[in-house]
Amino acid sequence: MEQIKRAKTYKDKKRVRILKTIGLEVFFIVLCIITLIPIFYALSVSFNANNSLISTDFSFFPTNFTFDNYVRLFKENDMLLWFGNSLLLAISTVVFSLAIAIPAAYAFSRMNFKGKKTILKILILLNAFPSTLSLFAIWAIMRNLGLVNTKIGLIIIYTGTMAIFGIWNLKGYFDTVPCEIEEASMIDGASNFQIITRIVMPLAKPAIIVTAVMVLIYVWNEYLYSVTFMTGSENYTLAAGLYGLQANETSGSWPIFAAASLITSLPILIIFLLVQKHMVSGLSSGGVKG
Amino acid sequence: MTNTFKRKLKENTRPYLYSGLSLILIFLIVVFPILYTLYISFTNMSLYHYYEFDFIGFTNYARALFNFDSGFLTSLLITLLWTLVNMVIQLVIAYFIAILLNSRNLKFGKFYKTLLMIPWAIPGYVSILLWKTGMLNYNFGLINKWFNALSIELGDLLSNSVSAFICCTIVNLWLALPYMIMIIDGALQSIDKSFYEEAEIEGCGKLRKHLSITVPLIKPIIGPAVLITTFTTFKQFDIIYLMTMTPVNTGSDVSTIITYAYENAFITSNYGYSSAVSIIIFALLIVFSALTNSDLRRKNKYGTN
Repeated sequence: MEQIKRAKTYKDKKRVRILKTIGLEVFFIVLCIITLIPIFYALSVSFNANNSLISTDFSFFPTNFTFDNYVRLFKENDMLLWFGNSLLLAISTVVFSLAIAIPAAYAFSRMNFKGKKTILKILILLNAFPSTLSLFAIWAIMRNLGLVNTKIGLIIIYTGTMAIFGIWNLKGYFDTVPCEIEEASMIDGASNFQIITRIVMPLAKPAIIVTAVMVLIYVWNEYLYSVTFMTGSENYTLAAGLYGLQANETSGSWPIFAAASLITSLPILIIFLLVQKHMVSGLSSGGVKG
Repeated sequence: MTNTFKRKLKENTRPYLYSGLSLILIFLIVVFPILYTLYISFTNMSLYHYYEFDFIGFTNYARALFNFDSGFLTSLLITLLWTLVNMVIQLVIAYFIAILLNSRNLKFGKFYKTLLMIPWAIPGYVSILLWKTGMLNYNFGLINKWFNALSIELGDLLSNSVSAFICCTIVNLWLALPYMIMIIDGALQSIDKSFYEEAEIEGCGKLRKHLSITVPLIKPIIGPAVLITTFTTFKQFDIIYLMTMTPVNTGSDVSTIITYAYENAFITSNYGYSSAVSIIIFALLIVFSALTNSDLRRKNKYGTN
């Protein structure tokens, strides 16, 4: 009798557990669908032919599948030009940022000099100033330098904005790398430049990759400066292009805008999913507080 | 003698040489704008006084801080409300989802986690514009379509201040939750499971386990991330600007202090006044971060972590 009872409660427990599992899985499937609705909708609209935008019927799957919106995006709009401009800006900024931040971070990590600690502290303090509020002042500088509506101007702005992050993130990592190997090679007669390129950079690869990815994502996602400073259409970035597309949203360019949004998001989405794990460790170990 | 002097000089100048280019750029793009803003904040520079502006002392600051009609104090209140509402909802939902993601019964947790991270990976301005046009547009936004199907007339959600505030909050949650879920999820995984086993032997209830074990244990781990998020929420500009102020003002007024400063510079062209507001915001941020930093440091010193 006692045994039967025990078996029964065991079975009940198992049943409850299965029900709980099903409930949880259903909850998460629904949650994921709800979360991704804006993206599903953009996908569906961008691949749908006759867009009856005003109608109430809506499906997550395009009823009349077509690539037309994407073709129009590249033929009637300068999508390729915007993409190229954004890519050029992003890659140049990453290269410049690393080129100036690696030696600076090395100096702050390995060398002793007057004002080092003060400079590092002031840098953190300055980072508290929201870059949105610098827009007017930077406009004044760039106009005086004749760099408004030039790629160089924007690259300088982006590199300068990300320089504090780069220095702190890389310095934090350099600090964790022991300096014995560097000392040994210095005795062997290696120059400082050789030590940085041959020893420190390979050792600090994870931090350099994370810094590069963060700068790349920052440039790709930045819109305010690129829209404000790139006044000529030949210099439009993806942000400026998308801006123009949504400005006349009532004229029915929403399917094209959706297509452009998805193409803009895709590269970052791929990079992001590739480095997702590194992002957490590479950032938290750098210890930068925004 | 001269040789050692030369070498010493080289060694002394080397750090500045290495960091020089970075520091020059930082001066140009970060330091100079702050100094320039400080300088302009004491003038009456505006569209009408663009080249011939005068020094007017602290008038701009007084107008922002002591004249309630100026709108700065209102936007400061809205900013505080915005930060509080967003952080509380965000923490509660993220905690709830992260706990469920770590449930023993869940089979495909990793798959859901990856899907839930996607909003984080999409460029912020793209997400915001997608929400604005795809979901919230009066004519063809999904939300209006759905409510129309139920024959409920919502009207233009972005034209009313209260509903615009709610819409901006939803978009902010959509953008910010993935990061918070991931941070809490990481913290949960670092908890020693034996605590729970002991608590079960002692006969602790579920709520008790959350309040007495989970929350206190993850608090120091997620602390810095929560703090950073609080600052980004406080400084949030993109969502409110893109949703309600551009390309044309949608008719609602959800100005936080940053959009308020922006509006005064680029829409009404009161550069002097906007600069004073910017400096006040900078001062507020420095005071907040100084307070929270010393708080964190004290906790690290005496706390268990």
